[in-house]
Amino acid sequence: MVVVMKERVSGEQVEHVIAHLVELGMDVHRSTGASRVVLGVVGSGKVDPRLIELMDGVHEVLRISEPYKLASRTFKQEDTVFNVGDVRIGGDEVIVMAGPCSAENEAQVNATAAAVKRAGAKVLRGGAFKPRSSPYSFQGLGEEGLRMLRGAASTHDLKLVTEVMDISQIEVIDRYADIFQVGARNMQNFTLLRELGRTRKTVLLKRGISATIEEWLLSAEYVLAGGNTQVILCERGIRTFETSTRNTLDISAIPIVKQLSHLPVFVDPSHGTGRRDKVAPMARAAVAAGADGLLIEVHCDPDKAMSDGAQSLFPGQFDRLMAELRIIAPAIGRSICLEPVARRGWAR
Amino acid sequence: MAEELSLEALRDEIDKLDEVIVRLLDRRARCAFAVGRLKQAQGLHIYEPGREKVVMAHVKAVNASLGGPLTEDAIERLYERVMDEARRIQRLESERHNAQARETES
Repeated sequence: MVVVMKERVSGEQVEHVIAHLVELGMDVHRSTGASRVVLGVVGSGKVDPRLIELMDGVHEVLRISEPYKLASRTFKQEDTVFNVGDVRIGGDEVIVMAGPCSAENEAQVNATAAAVKRAGAKVLRGGAFKPRSSPYSFQGLGEEGLRMLRGAASTHDLKLVTEVMDISQIEVIDRYADIFQVGARNMQNFTLLRELGRTRKTVLLKRGISATIEEWLLSAEYVLAGGNTQVILCERGIRTFETSTRNTLDISAIPIVKQLSHLPVFVDPSHGTGRRDKVAPMARAAVAAGADGLLIEVHCDPDKAMSDGAQSLFPGQFDRLMAELRIIAPAIGRSICLEPVARRGWAR
Repeated sequence: MAEELSLEALRDEIDKLDEVIVRLLDRRARCAFAVGRLKQAQGLHIYEPGREKVVMAHVKAVNASLGGPLTEDAIERLYERVMDEARRIQRLESERHNAQARETES
């Protein structure tokens, strides 16, 4: 880090800062300029930049290295690519995860799974434990919902991603799902992240509603630090002053995170916008910006959905979106749904 | 004197001077290392701002008496680097010493 001293500081103040840093085991490179003294600080000691900034005579402290290690590109140069069964995450193919917000009943789950499979999705998404903003909203079917989702996923040869809200749910979800989803509201639930780090199952980590990219990557670090290297980051919109969408989907986070980290980045355009008619444009933008995958809400009958109906696509809309994405992906050297199911006789 | 020499001769001279400078820096570093050991034994701090001030004043005075193109600020910047490295030598030695002490303890 670099410590910039205030103009016209006393020699004692500079000495005091240097003495403190040396005591912490750092090497200090002092540069005396015409009006300012700048200290270059290197070493492996543990230094809290905020405490240094509070010292007398210090103007500001600039951190140079990222606080996260395992999630960082500096730590691992090449992109992280891994398999969830036969689904390759982080490779050339853009992976689409789609399905209903919540599992409601057997028929709804099955019909939606069939529809998303037909359109080219590789993973079924769906909630059994729902984190709702209000305690009076539908809270999900629990294990019964997991059973339905697993059944539909297996029938239609899809992998299953579902949200885990609490440590106590890890065991039961582990039995049914292929990917643990950590929701935006739980992004900084560090006990949950640490526990998921001990599992060896893929974790899809959504960005918190007011989380900076750095905080998001630090959360991924919790999972990685436990030895679980299969982490997917998922942008889902952040809170801004704009009210015409539920959240503002941060498309720029995709290239930024790809530069800072080696982890695959997915985008959820459904929660980000909160509105069905905005989902497709944002999904197209996400793929064009380099997302490794998408997480999209599709409901066989959105108007009757028990949660988030307004942002769920009709199966026909999802079909059309997938067709558009198949045109966009090759423009940036990616592919999407290498094996169009249509060829296998599912044509509409 | 120097300005009458050719570019090649001047560069040759610089190479020779660099050799002398590095040999002198080496001797200085060995001294700093020995000082570090003594500080260790006597429980003194690695960073001694008072002593650094004395060193700085001394080299500036020497430089001033020569009347060459190096200004006082230039000497200060160069010697800041020299003292940075001396401190580092002492820190590494002190860490090595402490690690060893811990090993023999356990």
